[in-house]
Amino acid sequence: MNLSRSSSSDLILDVDHVWKVYCRNLKRAMWYGLKDLGREMVGGGRDRSHHNLRSGEFFAISDASFQVRRGECLAMIGPNGAGKSTMLKMINGLIKPDSGSIKISGKIGALIELGTGFNPILSGRENIYINAAVLGIRKREVDGLMEKIVEFAELGHVINDPIKTYSTGMRVRLGFSIAANLRPELLLMDEVLAVGDVGFRMKCFAHLNELVKQGVSIVLVTHAVGMLQRVATRSVVFGQGKIVHDGDLETGCTIYEEMLGASDRVRAKKKEEAGRIGEIGSVEICNEAMEPQAEFETGETVRLRIQINTRETIKDARLVVALCSPVHGVLSSVSSPYQGIQFDVDPPGRVITLEIPKIPLLIGAYHFNISLFGPEKVDFYHRSSLRGVFRIVGPPTNADGYGINGITKLQHSWNING
Amino acid sequence: METEFEKSKPAGKSEAPITVARRVPEVATPMDADGLERVGHSSTGITTYSARSSIRNPLQLIRNIFADFWLGRELAWRLFLRNIRGLYRQTLLGLFWAFLPPIANTAIWIFLRQANVFSMGDTQVDGTVYILTGMILWQAFIDAFQMPLGMINKNRNLISKLNFPRESLLLVGIGEVLFDLMIRLLLLIPAFLIFQVPVHTSILYAPIAILGLVLIGASLGLLLMPIGSLYQDVGRFIAMVLPFWMIITPIIYVPLTTFPGSLLNWLNPASPLLLLARDWLLLGTTNHFAIGLGFAAAAIPISLIALVVYRVSIPVLIERMTA
Repeated sequence: MNLSRSSSSDLILDVDHVWKVYCRNLKRAMWYGLKDLGREMVGGGRDRSHHNLRSGEFFAISDASFQVRRGECLAMIGPNGAGKSTMLKMINGLIKPDSGSIKISGKIGALIELGTGFNPILSGRENIYINAAVLGIRKREVDGLMEKIVEFAELGHVINDPIKTYSTGMRVRLGFSIAANLRPELLLMDEVLAVGDVGFRMKCFAHLNELVKQGVSIVLVTHAVGMLQRVATRSVVFGQGKIVHDGDLETGCTIYEEMLGASDRVRAKKKEEAGRIGEIGSVEICNEAMEPQAEFETGETVRLRIQINTRETIKDARLVVALCSPVHGVLSSVSSPYQGIQFDVDPPGRVITLEIPKIPLLIGAYHFNISLFGPEKVDFYHRSSLRGVFRIVGPPTNADGYGINGITKLQHSWNING
Repeated sequence: METEFEKSKPAGKSEAPITVARRVPEVATPMDADGLERVGHSSTGITTYSARSSIRNPLQLIRNIFADFWLGRELAWRLFLRNIRGLYRQTLLGLFWAFLPPIANTAIWIFLRQANVFSMGDTQVDGTVYILTGMILWQAFIDAFQMPLGMINKNRNLISKLNFPRESLLLVGIGEVLFDLMIRLLLLIPAFLIFQVPVHTSILYAPIAILGLVLIGASLGLLLMPIGSLYQDVGRFIAMVLPFWMIITPIIYVPLTTFPGSLLNWLNPASPLLLLARDWLLLGTTNHFAIGLGFAAAAIPISLIALVVYRVSIPVLIERMTA
């Protein structure tokens, strides 16, 4: 585990070999619920780790361990149903682990869903008291924070009006403002970064960064990976209930993007038909020296070795290669006729190499979609997606406006003399 | 691991953390297993969640329940005010809806009695006041009985998303039941005047019996809540059974004293305390003192068990709410 950045004396959250079982079948889930109730009542333990599953059950979380220290902002990322929100619920104490333990030192403030518990017919001010009480804050303490909360939410002009007259954005602002101004030691957030207008979102990021600086720990779940760099310092990536990465944010985001691609690959394969005449065979990504390599730095040379297999001769074959990002789609597409390349493919096939010198891509995961055609538009043989997966791992980018950021490195120059 | 946590208490924070009504965790730390009380309510305490059932340490569990009642009192008061205020702002008739059910029920039964459909027996006071009082008490019992499931269903969203002292919901529920009961009891003032019912000093003890009645109703409702929350069949069954239950409770007639009818007074948990409360309110003397107090005394251990069931079942129920 990559914990070298902070000392061991500041442990706020310790998730230790946690397992959680779920059941998707409603009728069964109810019946199991009843049985679990009975077992709880007689004090029966329910260590349900490893292969101790009842019919219809699956592991929503299997053997997850990670830790969060003071002043750390951890992002839990992963595809839908990977177990992030389940983990957040267990950390918040809403549901119990089926095996393992979760230890928390200090006060938890949760933003599982902003504005839960708002009563629409009461005023914003009354709702602040109610929401704070739900989060465990006494009235006199709320009195002291009232001005700050209202000011941060920018709702001073309507705070005495009923909440039902507020827009969705206003409610979200109020909810965030309450939870974030109560100074918890551990702040839990579920998908709340992607809400509100841009201005308020930036304000939230600034506020969260300020909290982190003051020693507040944050655990957040989000799909908006692009925004994470503004606040998160570390990532834990979940895949099908397992932790597949615990460490720096960039690698985590890259792995997540690859996972999104991987599920597409399964779908694409099913659609493919058998019995083609010509097809794209093995595809290998190599460095300048033609050695297989999957990780590159911006500006290095990337070579793509494409094996074409065929049962009959393909005259005047055409290759179309698209460079793609799982998040942004096709970045660029090149074809062999564009550079006047003409070739035939005789059985059993041949190898074609595409060289991309000084690759201008920045940190992230990328792949190629490769199509094989004959001379005419309609002479289609095969399309193969998600081939030659590679990663750009450096140099680092900067999202705060002090370096370069995005997906490509733009050739550019500045002139400060107008 | 423990030693790491010991060291992790905030060291010289510039701003004092807000004292927080933090929930007492369900499951104690491993140290608790050795009987050492370590889990505190302070913001520096360590909370542990594991698969271990909290019922294994019943004394700790009951202590935690009462601690959470105390921690949840302000939240309960806020939620109570919210609901009461909400009630007034949203309706034209407001309080009228609290009065309506006992008046309507009483009116129907008085009409039927005057048509000689049934006989009430010797009620010692005017039949209208007798039925009205019974109806008010019965309504309180039934409200209390249905309160736990109702509270859970109404607050599903809150329960499944936020961690707060769950006991506060029960405080809110009991508060609402008592609030409605108090408003309805006001009906007795004009009724006493119109039907010239003498006031006895025993009216001062009546609250004991009434609270016992509410407590036993709420406890039974609490025991049914976990199953009722999983399976809607329970709620439907209760709705179906309620009218019959009312008929076998001596509300519109004096209690039967001969066997086997008298058995109903013993088997029906609503009967003894309802009879005792009504006798104390209306008659000044009672034949139900021993059995009533017996039931009131039994209500205490039953309610403790019910509270344990409630607390232990909530995490299991949340799991199935979101499943």
